[in-house]
Order: sequence, then structure tokens, then C-alpha cells
Amino acid sequence: MNSLLLHTKYPSTFLLLICALTISSAQAAPKRHVFKNPEIKMVVIPRTAQQMAAFYEGREFPINAINATRDACFFTIGIHNKSQSILKLNTNNWTFTTATETLSLLSRAHWIQRWKKLNLPQRFQSTFRWTLLPNQLDFQPDEHEGGNITLARINTPFTLTARFAKEMNSNAKPLIITFKNLRCAEDPAP
Amino acid sequence: MKKILILLLFLALPSVSLYAATDAPKGIIKITPRMAPPLSLENMDGNKFTLSTKNRRWAFVHFWASWCGPCRREMPTIQSLIQDMSKDNIDFFIVNTAESEDTIFNFLGAVAPEVNTLLDRDGLTTELWKPRGLPSTYLVDPNGQIQYVVIGGQDWHKPLYQNFLKQLSTAKTQDQEK
Repeated sequence: MNSLLLHTKYPSTFLLLICALTISSAQAAPKRHVFKNPEIKMVVIPRTAQQMAAFYEGREFPINAINATRDACFFTIGIHNKSQSILKLNTNNWTFTTATETLSLLSRAHWIQRWKKLNLPQRFQSTFRWTLLPNQLDFQPDEHEGGNITLARINTPFTLTARFAKEMNSNAKPLIITFKNLRCAEDPAP
Repeated sequence: MKKILILLLFLALPSVSLYAATDAPKGIIKITPRMAPPLSLENMDGNKFTLSTKNRRWAFVHFWASWCGPCRREMPTIQSLIQDMSKDNIDFFIVNTAESEDTIFNFLGAVAPEVNTLLDRDGLTTELWKPRGLPSTYLVDPNGQIQYVVIGGQDWHKPLYQNFLKQLSTAKTQDQEK
């Protein structure tokens, strides 16, 4: 639980994910990526399939839905707008690139389709959606929010370039944050 | 000039008296008012509670889930708030998002046993309200308009927040002014 102390400033979904995932798999400690400047703090934490399975098992998800999450690469994202103006999140403006290709986020629509095929009860679909990072959100000054993003599993490292527009001045340069060498977290060897 | 100033002052007064609690504490954000989505849910005893636009009281609408870490910290303060404001002109709608009764029972039993939560069993009511995340709170005026959103979890037992809500609950609405 000590790692929770690092994140007491994230009062929303992010914290719950950190909490539940930390408890569920203290044995695995994927590398945490942190960016900080006077305007923003952004944290990216890769999650292993085991961590995610434990989290959703704890929420009573059926086994076929839990297995579906194992195909995806999860990252928990925490964002704190430290500035005095609104920062606009739109994950459509984020890019994920390897040395040779551009990756796409697994969208909410993708998950809805997946759950429909599995006939996942509505309440689990709802819970799953609430654990995802919003696609779009205007971060108010001092607001902290977070959640998971998902991609198809990939073995090679990639770069996340996150762009945030600033509302105060539409001509203002967007805030661009780059996380290099991100990797999908692997379950520890048995 | 003096007459104009007096006239301006006179014109300004009614807008001050409406929703007089204009200085919202940190984390409570005044928004452009919009109609609250429907909310009609049962509690764990099977009693139905409906957010009405005709009850002429403010409503504190809160969405939570047991897996939400901040909800665990915030819920006892909401319990205190409800108890402290039991005689005030405000209704509380505490809504659990898409969890089983066992989970809710265990959670509330541990952190806030007096809270009478409503059950959004399939999560669809929560979807209609489009919270920014969980926990999420809305302050709805007596005409059914969302006037404030609350970002993240707050220490509702603090006088700062209770006084703000008390001011709201005693402020007159535009309809009541007419």
C-alpha cells in the first residue's frame, strides 16, 4: 500500500485502480513513467494481464470477460492539471508509434462490441467503461482524473505522444508530452 | 450619474439573491445550468426514490462505487453531511453504480452504515448523467437544473462545504422570486 502514498493527489478512478492493482499484484512492479512540469503531472503505469484479471475478478466479472482483457495491453493513466487554465484531453490527439508503425487505442466501441459478443451483463460493461480514461475531458484547474487505456498486445517498445489543447487561447501551442520506450507489462514467469 | 449607479445596483440585487452561495468552495464548479437527466431508483429495501423537478428543494446527487478509492474516503463525510443537514431544505440521492447488493452492503457496512444508497443496477442511470469519473457529485436546483458539479472527492463534513450547501438550500430560485 505504500505506493499509494505517491498518488494521494489523484482522487478519482486513477486512485482506485492504483489501490486495487497494487494490492492484487504486489509481486509485479512494472515501471512507472512520470512527467511533471508546472502545468501538468502525468503518470503512465503499465499493467500486467494478471493485475487486470485480479482487478476485474474482484468486481465479480465472469471468466470469459476476464479472459478477454488478457488480450489487451493496459496502462493506467493519471493526469493532474496543475495550471490555472483548462487543459483539453482528447485521446484522438494522442499517438502511439513503434519504430515501424502507428498503433491504435482499443476504443470504447471496440469493447462494447467485444462485450456484446460475450453477452456480458450490462452492469459489468458499465463498470468496465468507468475504469477507462475518458476519451475527452476538459480538465479544470487542479483537477485530477485518470483511468485505463488499452491497446492490442505488442512486444516491441513504443512512444506515446500526448497532446493537450489549452482553452484559454486557441492559438496557444498545445501541451505535448512524450513517453518513450513504453512496453506492455508481461506477467511474471511462473 | 448617481441615479444610474443606484439603478444598476438595484438591477444587480436580484441576481445576487438567486443562488446566493456564489463563492463555491474548491472543487465545486458552477456550470451553465442544464436540465438534470431522469433519476428514479430503488434503495436496498426496494423503496423507489425519484428526483423531481417539482419538489422545490435542492438535491445533492452523488455517484459512487466500492472499487473507487476516493469513494471509500469520501463516503463517511457524506454520511456526516446527510446527518448534519437532515433539517435543511436539501435532498440526497446517493447512487451506487452497477454493483451487487452484497458488495454494496459490505462496503457501506464498513465505511458508512447510515447511508441509504440507491441502486443503479445496470449502470444506465449513471451513463445518462455522464459523470467525469467516480466519485462524482451534482448539485441540482429546485427547478431540476444542474447548477454545480463537484470534481473528485471532497471533505463534506467540513464547515466550508456544509455552509455552502446551507446557503444554497435557503436561496430562493427564480421561480420562487416571481
